Amino acid sequence: MKLGPKAAAAALIVSSAMALTACGGGAPAGAGATAKTASLTLGAVQELRSWDPAQAHVGHYLQPYQAAYDSLLLRQPDGKLSPMLATEWKYNDTNTKLTLDLRTDVTFSDGAKFDAEAAKANLDHFKKANGPQMAQLTAVADVAVVDADTIELNLSAPDPSLEFYLSQAAGLMGSPKALGTEAIKTEPVGSGPYVMDKAATVKDSQSVFTAREGYWNKDLQKFEKVTFKILTDLTARTNALVSGQVDATLLDPKTGKQAEGAKMTLTANQVDWQGLLLMDRDGAKNTPLGNVKVRQAINYAFDRKTILDQVLLGQGTPTSQPFGKESGAWVEELENKYPYDPAKAKALLKEAGYETGVTLEVPSVPGFETQIAVVKQQLADIGITLNVGSAITNTFTSDVAAQKFTTMYFSLFQGEPWVAINQIVSTKALYNAFKNTTPDLQAKIDAVQTGGADAAKLAREVNKYVVDEAWFAPLFRVNQMYYHNSKITVTPQVQQAVPSIYNYAPAK
Amino acid sequence: MIPFILKRLGSGVVVLLAVSILTFSLLYVSSGSIARNILGDQATPEQLAVKEAELGLDQPIITRYFSWLTSALGGDLGASWFTSEPVANALATRIPVTMTMVVVAMIFISIIATLIGVAAAVKRGWVDRVVQIGAIIGDSIPGFVIGIILVTILAIQMGLFPATSTISPGVGADAWVLSLTLPVIALLINGVTGGAQQIRSAFIKQLERDYVRTLRSRGIGEREVLFKHVLRSAAPAGLTVLSLQLIGMLGGVVILESIFALPGMGPMAVTATIQSDQPVVMGVVMYTVAVVIVVNLIVDMLNGWLNPKVRVS
Repeated sequence: MKLGPKAAAAALIVSSAMALTACGGGAPAGAGATAKTASLTLGAVQELRSWDPAQAHVGHYLQPYQAAYDSLLLRQPDGKLSPMLATEWKYNDTNTKLTLDLRTDVTFSDGAKFDAEAAKANLDHFKKANGPQMAQLTAVADVAVVDADTIELNLSAPDPSLEFYLSQAAGLMGSPKALGTEAIKTEPVGSGPYVMDKAATVKDSQSVFTAREGYWNKDLQKFEKVTFKILTDLTARTNALVSGQVDATLLDPKTGKQAEGAKMTLTANQVDWQGLLLMDRDGAKNTPLGNVKVRQAINYAFDRKTILDQVLLGQGTPTSQPFGKESGAWVEELENKYPYDPAKAKALLKEAGYETGVTLEVPSVPGFETQIAVVKQQLADIGITLNVGSAITNTFTSDVAAQKFTTMYFSLFQGEPWVAINQIVSTKALYNAFKNTTPDLQAKIDAVQTGGADAAKLAREVNKYVVDEAWFAPLFRVNQMYYHNSKITVTPQVQQAVPSIYNYAPAK
Repeated sequence: MIPFILKRLGSGVVVLLAVSILTFSLLYVSSGSIARNILGDQATPEQLAVKEAELGLDQPIITRYFSWLTSALGGDLGASWFTSEPVANALATRIPVTMTMVVVAMIFISIIATLIGVAAAVKRGWVDRVVQIGAIIGDSIPGFVIGIILVTILAIQMGLFPATSTISPGVGADAWVLSLTLPVIALLINGVTGGAQQIRSAFIKQLERDYVRTLRSRGIGEREVLFKHVLRSAAPAGLTVLSLQLIGMLGGVVILESIFALPGMGPMAVTATIQSDQPVVMGVVMYTVAVVIVVNLIVDMLNGWLNPKVRVS
């Protein structure tokens, strides 16, 4: 934003006068008197790093990109994939080649035409741009243009998540003319339902979009104007929602009470699980952790329901499994596999030969201090000492990879089965830091990879394995507290704390 | 006066250099996993290496520092490692927000604190006690708590002000005024109470001096005694306090800007520090140190103007 010296001087003088008399007067700016123009203002949790589609992220970080960019596939609120820029897609028999038919009637906001060449340019750009989600296209060896409206993705190995990825960061299509330029980092150039109003957009403050004229799919364009107001501070988000400055935003159980008091509607959705990651399963650095009975004892130590009620005001569901309910890998019987049973926990420790005690160390994780304190106390009840180390820092990811932590308390995303496997179970997974595996487990993982349409079902075996072996001590799935006012309707999106941009509509 | 200013500017440059070396070294210590933080959980070692080379992280620290210094001296502060936003741009959009707040608050603090401090020193009795108690209360409540109370009452319940910033391009001065009023008041309350207390003490000390009695015995009016002679003598102490407050305020502003979602320096500084976004942190630190140096220089000049002895010493 530019503020001329005159305006600055005026602001200075007027605000001086105002502050002195402590008299505001007038209506609060932003309390929308212009509801009829169908504008949507969202309280965003974080600013984007870059508008380059290759720098896009997953989950709720995807939402702002959806305003500017269409994706190849569209993910419905329930997780099913449907056509978008690709009208049809099909695997070959070995799941190593994915053929996509593309639309021919779409243009980008700079006039460039969307076609097979444009799609290839985007996928190639994504692969080499080193974005935070570059792993989404790891399996894609090359992209071939078959004809103007068909491309083929040749895979080095089957990837059961690839179609999902094409509805996420990897599927976002930017104008081939703009890809790789400096300009696209600050101003997106896509074929999406909205175009950025550059003059009204301020980095770290707000991104403003207006409806694009002649957009090919009017069903996905429900507002004249969409504003993402950057509100990283939870108090600021609560205040902005309650006072009507934003129409919807993400809160937490405590601030949610305040929003409910102001008649806001909750759209709860379970996206993450919280609990202990018992990462040193071979006992490489902490011998007792190598014993499955010790890991199971840890699982029996927690009164999950009580912890949930006290710490998160009951906003969640106690669980013993790390895979999410909508993922297809979720197994009902595993939900209460390890009920609260301190006596059994002690007996297991005794059987394992550790009745004199076990010591675990966890890093202190900002935001989870209360949870860690409760976990420490409940573990103490069965004879396990939990030492809480120093707070995690910006070297956290490297520290995890360097096996600095044998155990940690964390909150993790519950994605699609293959995504989750590669996040927490496989030997490639960051959160399987000690690269633990067995031939049995590896066979189950391989079955998922080559399982095609059955991948999700096959992932249940992986889930059962890690729960039986107590690789983790999950406590609960957490409700995401997404609140909105009565001017709009909101449909939750599976596996996203914040819904996709298509899931909002003006209230009738 | 000019040699004095030049001397102070010279030492300011030395301070800037020293701080830049120190900050750069501290950032270097924690910069081990920058590439991983930028690229995310699933980056391969090869990708990490490419990124590190791109950012120059594979160079020795001396080389990196001198390349930063030469660019900075040429006016190029680099671009954020995380957002690619040029640091100079980032500072240019955020400084007006923060500085408007700080400057407006300082003007009010100077006026109000002086009036209250003088009143307490001259009247003593109950006025003085009220000021003393007020100072303790005002000092003990953090600015952000005052901010939250103000938002709850004046913005959310009464709707007089926006709860978070409405500052954006083209909205006009009224949006600035409305958005900045509550955070400025929150800053003010702390500043005024602390400032008044100090000015009161300095004033009392002067009132006990012989020259005041002499002036009064010559029949010079009380108002002239107080505001021409005593205030001038008490001013250096007051100025020092105010300059310290201004510098301290740069810290308090950080939290207030977050609560009010003001697009100022604070949130950017916090994010950049957490991420070890070296170019941004260096830019913010250099700017802040420059402000501190300039404020001190101005205070010294004012003191020198009020009391010529300072210039010579």
